[in-house]
Amino acid sequence: MSEQSSVTLTLTLDGKPVTFHEGETLYEVATRHGKAIPTLCYDPRLAAFGACRMCVVEVEGARTPVASCTTVAAAGSNVSTTSERIEKHRKTLLELIASENPALEVDPLRGYASQELATLVDAYDAHTGRFAGEHSGRSKIEDDNPFILRDYDLCISCYRCVRVCAEQEGDYAISILNRGFHTRIATEFDGLLRDSACTFCGQCIQTCPTGALADRKALRFAEMEMIAAD
Amino acid sequence: MTSSSNRALIDQWIEEPAPLLPILHAFHDRDGYLSEEALREIAKALRIPLADLYGTVTFYHHFSTDPDRPQTAPRVCTGPVCRLHGSQDLLDELADQGATPMACAGRCDEPTPVLSGHNVYIGQHADALEIAPSLLPPFNPGGVEECVFSAIREPGRAMLDGYRRTGGYEGLAQAVGAMAPAEVIELVRESGLAGRGGAGFPTAVKWAAVADAESEPKTIVCNADEGEPGCFKDRAILDHDPHAVIEGIAIAAYATGASRGFIYLRYEYPHTYSVLERAIAEAYEAGYLGDDILGSGFTFDLYLRRGAGAYICGEETSLLNSLEGKHPFPRNRPPYPVTHGFEDLPTAVNNVETLAAASHILRKGAAWYQGLGLDDRAGTKVISLSGDIQRPGNYEVPFGLPLKTLLYDWAGGPLPGRTIQAVTMAGLSGGFLAGDDLDVTLDEPGIRAKGSFLGAGGIMVFDDSRDMVDVAHNAMEFFAHESCGKCFPCRIGTQRLTERLNGGGPADLDDWLTEVQDIGYTMKELSACGLGMAAPAITDSLIRYFPEQVEGHVKA
Ligand SMILES: Cc1cc2nc3c(=O)[nH]c(=O)nc-3n(C[C@H](O)[C@H](O)[C@H](O)COP(=O)(O)O)c2cc1C
Ligand code: SF4
Repeated sequence: MSEQSSVTLTLTLDGKPVTFHEGETLYEVATRHGKAIPTLCYDPRLAAFGACRMCVVEVEGARTPVASCTTVAAAGSNVSTTSERIEKHRKTLLELIASENPALEVDPLRGYASQELATLVDAYDAHTGRFAGEHSGRSKIEDDNPFILRDYDLCISCYRCVRVCAEQEGDYAISILNRGFHTRIATEFDGLLRDSACTFCGQCIQTCPTGALADRKALRFAEMEMIAAD
Repeated sequence: MTSSSNRALIDQWIEEPAPLLPILHAFHDRDGYLSEEALREIAKALRIPLADLYGTVTFYHHFSTDPDRPQTAPRVCTGPVCRLHGSQDLLDELADQGATPMACAGRCDEPTPVLSGHNVYIGQHADALEIAPSLLPPFNPGGVEECVFSAIREPGRAMLDGYRRTGGYEGLAQAVGAMAPAEVIELVRESGLAGRGGAGFPTAVKWAAVADAESEPKTIVCNADEGEPGCFKDRAILDHDPHAVIEGIAIAAYATGASRGFIYLRYEYPHTYSVLERAIAEAYEAGYLGDDILGSGFTFDLYLRRGAGAYICGEETSLLNSLEGKHPFPRNRPPYPVTHGFEDLPTAVNNVETLAAASHILRKGAAWYQGLGLDDRAGTKVISLSGDIQRPGNYEVPFGLPLKTLLYDWAGGPLPGRTIQAVTMAGLSGGFLAGDDLDVTLDEPGIRAKGSFLGAGGIMVFDDSRDMVDVAHNAMEFFAHESCGKCFPCRIGTQRLTERLNGGGPADLDDWLTEVQDIGYTMKELSACGLGMAAPAITDSLIRYFPEQVEGHVKA
């Protein structure tokens, strides 16, 4: 253990002095001190990626807000996790994200899936219809494997599935196709999961923040329950 | 002719650093596309997950995975200047040969380039396409002293003999023979040289950071990706004065303690690739590269790598990922490449022009270079000037030269009967300047005061016959096409701005403006790299200078 890592350092967080350890990110410091910073591409099990930019905070002296997930905390800095400027950016981001998918309402059948995105869009009242334009997702309905539903109409390209598959499972079954607005999640040669290195471990379903990935077994079960209830 | 076996193509490169790109190119060149079989074999040999490799290949515009769109099918430049010269018609004329469009291919001084395999043809009609050498930079009228171009027009300068005859490799000999690395850095510091690739970072500070970094081996990367639309200076320098760049790289390596280096050259410059291949071989032969350079005990190896069509790979961290064979998303910074660059080791990434200037500075001194700028400004900048202007070309200007002197006195002004409506800055990344703001001097403080920046020095001129909303739409389409897709504001924002410049978005002018400005504000402040931060300069400056054209567009 290096000498410094045990040293306790201080910074100012939303006006109050807080302590942190060398190497902690601003996101880690803030959440440890009870701040609710919104994120979409973040998963504590994965290397910080810095894509969604929802977690931006203001650091005194910095020209622009910084992504708290990838910024290492510095002693003596003055950090605000919320401000008019930051909340405006977050709302714009959510409106942009809402504009890229045909629907935000995740089928109640998929209640097992994450509602991270839907919850944030509600919280920020971001379903405004602004920024309307082409949709980015493309559902992979032809992938009829019995385990994982791939409804990329709901995908927001956070690549959490790609990263969990690589970093946690070491399977590298999926990756990122194309670039820009046209990126998609795909296996090698854009084929089906069963022809890929996928082991159907389900980690990707768990980390997906939108419900684009869903557990088909759970869906079948929920469907049966609904029928029984009727 | 028998073609090489898969294994032979792989074995040719696998022991070298950064082997993925050359292996992919070897298969691409041999087969015309990257087949499933080829990718499976490459993935296995390099131990890259197949899905990763496939995804990475699809990132690059020019790699084909489709035998029906072979590597030899023509790619026609539809960049901002070529469009003015009817490149869309040329694309249509070549449709029966399977032609597809490509982003600005860096030949804005001679529209329109058509890339096919390893050849670039120039012309405006299908029956008049010819291979032509890069143009030499025009002389400036006042005989203003140059640095990077000071010897480029000497006959034979591109060959080792000609280069040596005109002072070549004297700077390197001086450095390795008579100076400590720290003295080389000090000399560069005194000269005031700063990065010429866009960001303008002081070169000596970068070199000192690499020299001071502890891990080894260290690396120099010469950034020859030149993807910014309207920029074609690095091509001219490399085609006509390749040894000046190689010498600059070797000097940088000596100063920083680097033992290996790369030139990362954009795909669209195949002729430059062969020029560099030959020049590097000559330099090795003569002892300017390799073991024990000029008997000094200093050893440095230089490798040439070729991109595959991605503007973002000019961004230094994306470039490093590309070299390493990874998905070419930019990296989060810090840490910076000076400590965590190629293979996570200390690396100096420098632009072609920066490195060429360094070799002149070593030979002629810091005070000489410093003194080339006007008033208190240090040095010179090569400007690639193109578009609606009498004499397009690369002009090396002293910092502080009035923009209008360049436009009117040096380059002859607009075409007869026309007036200049707007110019772009930093290629496209600085947006437009127009009206009274054309009264600026060419230097960063002057241009930044107008809300733009000089950057890599591409200036495209648009006269009063041009529809600026259409120009802006084409510019934003470029950024959308080249956005890597990593961060949300740029990935979605470039798409939405493109749509809004093409008839999409709200029909009400105020709503349209609010949407465009809100998107731009978030892109500028939140994007993860310079591409997304810069793109809204196009819409901001369009709205600032041309409100009537915007209004006409939205209401139509
Ligand atoms: C989107 C983007 C594209 C870039 N393209 C290039 C390029 O083609 N060539 C280049 O030298 N620098 C380019 N840069 C700048 C590099 O990141 C880096 O700053 C430069 O190569 C450093 O060299 P210098 O200090 O000598 O200028 C680009 C930057 C961004 C954000
Ligand atoms: S700003 Fe654009 S190009 Fe840069 S990282 Fe974000 S998506 Fe990629």
